[in-house]
Amino acid sequence: MGDRTPARVSLKIYLDRRFLRMVTSFAEDSAKAFGLAEPEALKLTLACEEIFAYLCGAGHTDEEIAVEAENGGYYVRLKFLFKAQQFNLRALNLTSTVSSGDASSLEEMGLLIASKFVEGFHFAEDLQHGPGLVLIKEKAYPAPAGTELPEIGPVKDFHIASPGPENLKLFARLVAAHYPDHLYIESFRLPGKVVDMVASGEYGVKLAVGEQGQIAGGIVWRRLGAGTIESFGPYLFNQRADLGLSEELIASCIGQIARTDAIGLICRYPTPELPGGYFESLGTINLVRQAGVTMPQPVYYRELREDPGCRVWAHPDLEDFLRAEYSRLFFTRDIHLARHEGEQRPPHSIFAPQFDRANRQITLRAIWDGADAAANLAQHVKILSAEDLPNIFFEIDLACAWQAALTPALLNNGFSPRLVLPYGGRADVVVFQHRGGE
Amino acid sequence: MSVLSLDKLVPDYVKKFEPYIPSKPDPELMKLYGCKRLYRLNNNENPLGPPAAALEELSRFKPTGAAIYPSGDSYYLRQKLAALYGLDPDQFLVGNGANEVITFVIKAFCQEGDNIITADKTFAVYEWVAEFSGIEARLVPLKEFTFDDQGMLARADERTKVFFICNPNNPTGTYWDETRLRRFLDAVAGRQIVVMDEAYFEFVEKDDYPDGIKLLREYPNLIVFRTFSKMYGLAGLRIGYLAGDLKVVDIVRRTCVVYSVNTLAQDAAVAALDDEGHIWRTRRLIRAGKTYLKKELDRLGLENRSGEGCYMMVKLPMSDTLAYRKLMTLGVMIRSMTGFRYPNWIRVSIGAHEAMEAFASALKKILR
Repeated sequence: MGDRTPARVSLKIYLDRRFLRMVTSFAEDSAKAFGLAEPEALKLTLACEEIFAYLCGAGHTDEEIAVEAENGGYYVRLKFLFKAQQFNLRALNLTSTVSSGDASSLEEMGLLIASKFVEGFHFAEDLQHGPGLVLIKEKAYPAPAGTELPEIGPVKDFHIASPGPENLKLFARLVAAHYPDHLYIESFRLPGKVVDMVASGEYGVKLAVGEQGQIAGGIVWRRLGAGTIESFGPYLFNQRADLGLSEELIASCIGQIARTDAIGLICRYPTPELPGGYFESLGTINLVRQAGVTMPQPVYYRELREDPGCRVWAHPDLEDFLRAEYSRLFFTRDIHLARHEGEQRPPHSIFAPQFDRANRQITLRAIWDGADAAANLAQHVKILSAEDLPNIFFEIDLACAWQAALTPALLNNGFSPRLVLPYGGRADVVVFQHRGGE
Repeated sequence: MSVLSLDKLVPDYVKKFEPYIPSKPDPELMKLYGCKRLYRLNNNENPLGPPAAALEELSRFKPTGAAIYPSGDSYYLRQKLAALYGLDPDQFLVGNGANEVITFVIKAFCQEGDNIITADKTFAVYEWVAEFSGIEARLVPLKEFTFDDQGMLARADERTKVFFICNPNNPTGTYWDETRLRRFLDAVAGRQIVVMDEAYFEFVEKDDYPDGIKLLREYPNLIVFRTFSKMYGLAGLRIGYLAGDLKVVDIVRRTCVVYSVNTLAQDAAVAALDDEGHIWRTRRLIRAGKTYLKKELDRLGLENRSGEGCYMMVKLPMSDTLAYRKLMTLGVMIRSMTGFRYPNWIRVSIGAHEAMEAFASALKKILR
């Protein structure tokens, strides 16, 4: 196959259950063609089956959707793209049911079931193609062989370099050996996967290489959202702090992304070697990692451009929080108040989920306002609490007055604002966390 | 309504490119940051403004003249430059700022698959123009804050068309002396075009600093950029030029947009060239500003670099973009240098003494 394998294939089809087998065959065959092994391909196919059956129930048989499979190198991505003006977007709520209308019946919640088969599941709005649901199934990688790691002593001199595959694998092993689990992402435990992650272009890595070619440290980064890049590390292996490796690694990461479209660099996995003065503290979120164990996760940030200031919307209940944060961080924002004052609202709200099951985490984002927002949110919390998802977040984009106006619904449902992510959306994003994770 | 198929219309290299968002006008910034006065120390503008002769020329401009097209190829300015440097007027091309002539050169010499070579930490426009034109920009890391001649030569291949060297470099203020420049040009041996961007030429007082225009006869592959935006204080009128060998300029002229330089800019530039005193006065002010600032920065224990040009670089113990926001609230606007790939450094333009004092005082406040 080699170079002739396409990176993306698509299928246009009507939302009609009679095509279910065609859709699942498409998902399975493309998953295998793109490198998923049998068990992973099956899981993606099952997720696809759930989604398509669910969408058939929610849509109309004359409605056309596109199913797109894409080879991401270390994963296969399946997208269901539909036309917003035709599709019943309300069905995107996790709480939405199809046949019985009984919101408490988890068995009927196709989206929730589908999310269990895959590593990534989120709603995406593509300006070219309209809204869609995205499933990501990662390839299986063998656990690292019990390779003995080299002893690395302090280097006297170093240079920054982009690693080849073997150095990358060694770096991944060194990170896993030198640092506790919570300071790196799970994938680092699979060196082969790290190589594919970097080859996909979604991750970047720079290493500090000593005079004998030894790996003294490194830094990793990836794109997190439209304007945000996330860095991991810097990781140092038995190195002196005064040699400036951390600073050079951070500078090399910033050098790589400084002239891209990224606006900010976020760091949620700071190691003790993160040099002072390069980042600002946005705040802390509390993550439940295993039953009963909650760990604070500090969130650091730096802007990559000169801040032009912007206008944001805020509900009066959030105004004090925002003013305090903006003042602490020296962000100039023109705050306009938004609240509901008895005006008519659409009846039904829609919240789109982004699952991160590896971290037992879900992030909800509002994609449509509705008079039922508070009740809908309460229902979401109820369902998610029954799942193994103790870390529930809700993000509102302050570019949208109607999202800002959801603040009371969030506060009344046990959410509290934890931090402001500058330009995390069209404007700043406020991250709320449900008290379950506190 | 018809559907706009942008996805199919836009080349990939344009899709990947991020538009540059310039800062808002001063009144908007002052409103936003709540400051009553704003010292602009971000764009290396001349604090003395344009030379007196240029000001006089500008005041003579009759508004009704706005209805008339300017000279399409800046006829009188090219005559003046030719007389000044002893060259043929056709060896000059005038553009709407030196930025425009960068575009002329890349379009004239590069096609798909070609590349240009410049430094990683220098004026960004060479890299930007190449990339949004679908041309690869090969970036060679600076060595000791200076363009790395050997590194640049090593990156060249048969598809390399242009070397861009900023001399003195913006933002580091370092420069190649004449010996080094000649050695580089000899090594290139006419295989590629070598652009010496001398935007800050008039600020340099060092004896070994080369005058690129004087080397044009010996090196026909050399193109020199100069601008009226810095020393001559005409940044708001946008006017700059290139000088080169007749045959080279004849090629570049084919990609040049005529009529892009307005009448006011052309007239003011002609007048500005006569005002030698303006250069001396500006140099004196820059020298004094640098001396003062260096002392203040040293006193604060901040690493700083004061090379050639009308600016200095300062390393801060905080994010430069945070420093930008903090300084703005105190009415001082500097250039954060993350975009130059110098995180936690800022570049400050040398201004009038009052502005330097305001900057030093604001810096002390934000470092407390």
